[in-house]
Amino acid sequence: MAGFIFWRLARTFLAIWALASGVFLLSRHDLDTALRLSLPDAASQAGSGAALLPENQQAAQQALRRRFGLDLPVFYVSRGPASPAGVRPWHWHGGRNQYHQWLRGLAHGDWGTSFRTGQGVAGSLRHALAFTLPLTGTAAVLAVLSALALAQRLATAPWWQRPMRAVLVAVHGLPLFVVALVLLLVFANPDVLDWLPTYGLGSPNELNPSTSQQLADGFLHLILPVSALVITAVPELTLQLTAALQQELGTAYATTARAKGLSAAAVVRHHALRNALLPTLAQIAEFLPALVAGAVVVEVVFALPGMGRLLAEASAARDYPVLIGGVLLTGAVRLLALLLADLCYLWADPRIRWQS
Amino acid sequence: MGRPPHPLAVLTAFRFTWWQRLALGWLVLLVLVAAVAPLLPLPYPPGLPDLANMAVPPFSAARHWLGTDPQGRDVLSILVYGARTAVLLTLPAALLAALVGGLAGAAAGFWENSARVPLAYWLVGTGGTWWVLQLPLPMLGLGLMLIGALLALLARLQNRPLPTWPLPVDALVVGTATALDTIPRLIVVVAVVASIGLSAPGLLAVMVLTAWPPMARLVRAQMLRVRQLPFIEAARAAGLPERQIWFRHALPHALHPLRTALPLSVAGLLGLESTLSFLGIGLPPEVASWGRLLATVRDEPSAWWALLFPSLLLTLSILSLNTLSRMSTSRA
Repeated sequence: MAGFIFWRLARTFLAIWALASGVFLLSRHDLDTALRLSLPDAASQAGSGAALLPENQQAAQQALRRRFGLDLPVFYVSRGPASPAGVRPWHWHGGRNQYHQWLRGLAHGDWGTSFRTGQGVAGSLRHALAFTLPLTGTAAVLAVLSALALAQRLATAPWWQRPMRAVLVAVHGLPLFVVALVLLLVFANPDVLDWLPTYGLGSPNELNPSTSQQLADGFLHLILPVSALVITAVPELTLQLTAALQQELGTAYATTARAKGLSAAAVVRHHALRNALLPTLAQIAEFLPALVAGAVVVEVVFALPGMGRLLAEASAARDYPVLIGGVLLTGAVRLLALLLADLCYLWADPRIRWQS
Repeated sequence: MGRPPHPLAVLTAFRFTWWQRLALGWLVLLVLVAAVAPLLPLPYPPGLPDLANMAVPPFSAARHWLGTDPQGRDVLSILVYGARTAVLLTLPAALLAALVGGLAGAAAGFWENSARVPLAYWLVGTGGTWWVLQLPLPMLGLGLMLIGALLALLARLQNRPLPTWPLPVDALVVGTATALDTIPRLIVVVAVVASIGLSAPGLLAVMVLTAWPPMARLVRAQMLRVRQLPFIEAARAAGLPERQIWFRHALPHALHPLRTALPLSVAGLLGLESTLSFLGIGLPPEVASWGRLLATVRDEPSAWWALLFPSLLLTLSILSLNTLSRMSTSRA
């Protein structure tokens, strides 16, 4: 078992490295746009006069290139300019290239520097995560718990099973941003239901809020984003778990349990659930990274200062170091989720425990 | 005893339920509107702001039948041209992904890792790559190609089998698919789209890139089953070449799961496209899109019409596609 887990993690690690390298190398072919976007806006410097001259722009871009190490060749080898014979010779650059420097930096824990803000990527990601982790963590726990509760009730086939299934199937198809927008415009709209605050985190009208007030305020601001994530995550988990439960309820041991006189709910809870959980556990490995992607949408809709919005803004501004950091971080979440799923397997299925 | 069957009874062989007929009708209508969008008598073009009528509600101002968004653009035109964008982007992307995924998955499932390519073709391939990349001594590449071609010709003339070298098709396909699936699609697309810039062909390529792995996986699994069936064995006993057995006999059966997967894939891509437009990533800002119209609602929360109409269209289309994919499973 340990060997199996190790190889799976190693393969995933390899895949993440390949993806991040792909994004890194792809991002290098259009650096000029990125550098232009990362320079201070020309219009905002119009007052100083000098900024609009093209030579100054050129010089500033050159300085930026040197600062971020972008004047080095991109990869270990590159093609030179065409010689008179029409042949473009290959050059070997050794360790002095951007890719090598990036990898070495990563190995030393240096995630690079944002083009846009000039701050370390690791630092800004950590700041953003301090906000995103509570959001996605709460959503993940709530989604799993409500899926468990809902599936257990649905498996005993109550009268509301069919309409509930129809609702779940319908919600399952909806894009997250539509759900989030509808929630935002229904529950946080002065024209409809003015129950919850709309954007951002804190209320601006209080100058010195106390800590408890801040906490309560943050909690109120998190209700809608968390609900949006939960609403879109629950249907898939529930439908899958219900199907597995119903299959387990048709087996011989479930019939025996019913013949002993147990109630339908007790058969589900004490007998069928643990067996039905196994395929759902595999879903967790998909589900946690998907929540990170969901955070991108939710944080943009509700204007929350988390990792998702950082990524979306970085994509618009072509801030590649931040984007690659986001890819690596999502990959790390994926590794964690795989590990978690495997540990849950060990807990749920004694057969796996005894074999190892 | 029964009366002769109605001539239209053929249609009932498909066993459409009412819901599925409705879904199909809606999707056909959408595609038709998208196809003839430039010919429709729309009162306003989609991208032009009407500064006199900003954020007007439906049915009130002059000929803005569904109102205007907070920047004064006509909602009806954006909806029509947004349908055009969605159809022209997601349908080709899903079809291309089905083609790539179907072929790759079928090859992986049929040959697994035991495909053997004659040594002569390896020589030709290596030499060709060498020459195209202009590695040092380009003549060496040409020489390799020449030797390979000669070997192949000799073998053909003397009717003798060449020594072969295995090509791990399965490992290549499954490895690539797993690598692309490791990270959620949205994150990959957000990262890659930023590198290649805003354009419709670029977005199409990225969509195909992220949409083919699930299809390849389905077709590969089906092919592993089909490969064991007696008619494949019969074809082999009849002496057909492997490639022909794969393409003519096994492939049509292995592609069955795509009937379910294709509508679902289109639905997923539709969601992805509108999400990207909503985030302002992917398509240039002047391209009309439902997602971009939805994004304007945040500037003007009271403009319910800019939320209701596009999200209704999006929801209806996605639900119709889901319904359609269930039809295929019940028939298969």
